[in-house]
Amino acid sequence: MAGLLVLNFCIIHLAPGDPAIALGGEHGDAAYYAFLRSRFGLDRPLPEQLLTYVSNVLHGDLGTSFVHGRSVTRVIAERVPATLLLVGTALVLSSVAGVALGILAAGFRRRSVGVTLNVAALLGYATPSFWLGQIALLALAVGTGLFPVQGMTDARHPQTGLAHLADVLHHLVLPAVVLAINELALTMRLVRTGLLEALGADYVRAARAKGLPEALVVRHALRNVMLPVLTVIGSRAGMFLSGAVLVEVVFAWPGLGRLLLSSLLSRDYPVLLGMFLIMSVGVVLANLITDLTYARLDPRIRYQ
Amino acid sequence: MRRRRLTVLAVLLSAVMTLLVDFPARAQDQPVRGGTIVVAIVADPGHLNPAITTSGATHAASELIYNGLLGRDERGDPVPELAESWQVEQGGAVYRFRLRDGVKWHDGKPFTAADVKFTFEEVLLKFHARTRASMGSLLAGLEAPDDRTVIFRFKQPYAPLLYQLDATEAPIIARHLYQGSDPQTNPANGNPVGTGPFKFVSYTKGTEIRLARNPAYFKPGLPYPDALVMRIIPDLSVQVLALENGEADFLWELPGPLLSRIKSDTRFQTARTGYHPGGSNCIMTMSFNLERPILKEVRVRQAIAHALDRQAFLSQILFGEGKVATAPISSEIPWAHATGLALPRSDRTEAERLLEGVGWKKEGEGPRTARGVPGVPDGTRLSIDFLHFPAFAKYGELVRQQLGTVGISVVLRPLEPAVFAPTVFKDRNFDSNVISYCNGPDPEIGVRRMYHSSQIGPAPFTNAAAYRNPRVDALFDDASRTVEREKRSRLYRQIQEIVVQDVPYYWLVETVNTRAWTARCSGFRAWTGLFAEGAFCRR
Repeated sequence: MAGLLVLNFCIIHLAPGDPAIALGGEHGDAAYYAFLRSRFGLDRPLPEQLLTYVSNVLHGDLGTSFVHGRSVTRVIAERVPATLLLVGTALVLSSVAGVALGILAAGFRRRSVGVTLNVAALLGYATPSFWLGQIALLALAVGTGLFPVQGMTDARHPQTGLAHLADVLHHLVLPAVVLAINELALTMRLVRTGLLEALGADYVRAARAKGLPEALVVRHALRNVMLPVLTVIGSRAGMFLSGAVLVEVVFAWPGLGRLLLSSLLSRDYPVLLGMFLIMSVGVVLANLITDLTYARLDPRIRYQ
Repeated sequence: MRRRRLTVLAVLLSAVMTLLVDFPARAQDQPVRGGTIVVAIVADPGHLNPAITTSGATHAASELIYNGLLGRDERGDPVPELAESWQVEQGGAVYRFRLRDGVKWHDGKPFTAADVKFTFEEVLLKFHARTRASMGSLLAGLEAPDDRTVIFRFKQPYAPLLYQLDATEAPIIARHLYQGSDPQTNPANGNPVGTGPFKFVSYTKGTEIRLARNPAYFKPGLPYPDALVMRIIPDLSVQVLALENGEADFLWELPGPLLSRIKSDTRFQTARTGYHPGGSNCIMTMSFNLERPILKEVRVRQAIAHALDRQAFLSQILFGEGKVATAPISSEIPWAHATGLALPRSDRTEAERLLEGVGWKKEGEGPRTARGVPGVPDGTRLSIDFLHFPAFAKYGELVRQQLGTVGISVVLRPLEPAVFAPTVFKDRNFDSNVISYCNGPDPEIGVRRMYHSSQIGPAPFTNAAAYRNPRVDALFDDASRTVEREKRSRLYRQIQEIVVQDVPYYWLVETVNTRAWTARCSGFRAWTGLFAEGAFCRR
């Protein structure tokens, strides 16, 4: 933990740029920028700043945002639900649809359905999400009016209760699908390849010889295929967060990704450090959940 | 008799036709009460106190909640706002303002002169970079002898004051909420109380700021809509899609490539303005580092200016939105902008003649070589670096391409704003660069910093060229003490004539912002931060 804090601190302070200038704008005098540096403790030696930071974090204080003038914990906490909703939906969507389409692509590998799915997966994996987002907006939002262009809610007609939930879900569809596409394509290709390999294995031949129905055979094979697929999904949680930065900007989704970008541009060190910490913890947690899920899928794995 | 009947008939017919033709226009101009206006803004402001920052994001999102002592009309001239009248005394060293009677803060408390005194002394002069830098050292004191009188006393005549009192330069905040607290962390920054046309309702971080009509606004009948929502949409092209999809009514800025699409669409209206809460009346300017031996020679700077085709910058980068700069001071400040100046025109032959004259000789392909250039060893190739923000990459590409044709090699160095400023102003590690120098409402605020020798130093966006000319310094000092506009105008003309000869900078293009709004709305005032004070939308 302490190593993580020091590493994050060093990475941010190694990057060039002066928060006082980013904050103060272009019209200040030298005294004004000196005042800002002193106010935020940026005029103190770096080791002293590091010690203060580590000590504060260990006491549960992530500091005060230079830009927002409020506690970093609050600034970040306000954005977490939106990102969790977006990333969570995209993760579920890409995993469920990826596995389902992977099975379909393996089952129909020599037919047009399988080939089409395979080509679509290649395209989906190769297409950058920000570009896909723009195309989705033009084709499905502005073109047809089916979906809203931006935001998490309707600005003109704020709703409450169930209507609010429906409004949020309506706004969620496009960004979640766009964020999911890349991972969906990867999951689908992994499942397809793994399943094709597993279906040729001896234990599957034995199962078929015993007269097991094909659905049950696929289920047996799938269980073995899922272990590497899960590893990939778990290890790519960080990729989801970085993808969310672009998708949140394109769809004006009010999440952590946009906060990260704006904090980076304004050199809001406390918010950046807080976000790095939370993201690091998030990736560690995702890996932990992946490991725990292994045990559920494979009875040979036991954690003492 | 028959003739008279025909005449009456013709008059009646023309009256009916006039009514029919006029009716739609009049119906459109008739203000409509109620409804919600959705305004797209590009960045999350973080807080809503424009008095503690010059951040364009905060000012764009919050100025409608506040007022300044004065406002500004379409030409940028001061008009009454919280102050109903003013007097300039002692040749511009004393300004006396009479405040409006009966103005209330949104929480019902009365607005008084004590609020103005507190705002300037405790907030603006400490935290608002432009106000602090421009008048901080010159203001001798502020007095509030009664609830409706404010007196500014300066150490010497101070000319630009009346142009720095609007909600962008000096928004007035409530003393009863801020007194005795740290203005930068006061909870009122997130729950603001002003005197402006709209009252704060809610701020959903990263999403929107909701405002409601201030029914007790001191301008009778205003504003018209019941609510106004500032929706945060960071991508300008998505803002345009939101406008087209009916999700936004007003955009602060149109991106260049989409200008023609929106302008040619009858569903929308547009207006150009030099005003922006983050910095008004800006000129994209190429700075030369006069401390570098290659650029010390004025003929080299003139040659560079001659080699540049500024019309190409206007058409290829700004898509025609703006104008080629014709003077060092923006044409948006007409009284200070000099006309008829002889700026170097685009002329490659002249550029090559000047370079040859200095000793930069063409020897085969590639950049020119020094042969007898003062201060430069023989054999040195003519190469300069060019620093720019990543967003200004196209300027770099054009500069490299155009200077390459006369034998000047240009190395592009894109740097983020937070890195650019210390590299240029503190380390002075550059040959040339491009900066969007915003002149502001008065040359004293945004122009002096570029040329006065006292402005050479680490403070960002000051005298990047390190230009020193005692005559120019003296003229700027005279202009800041001169209140009569005609006299100031003459002084600024002299300054511009001198700097055009010295070419410490080359003024490329004046940039403008294009606001866009849906045609069912009217009454937007693009030139001020209180842009929606008189706006309304038909349903």
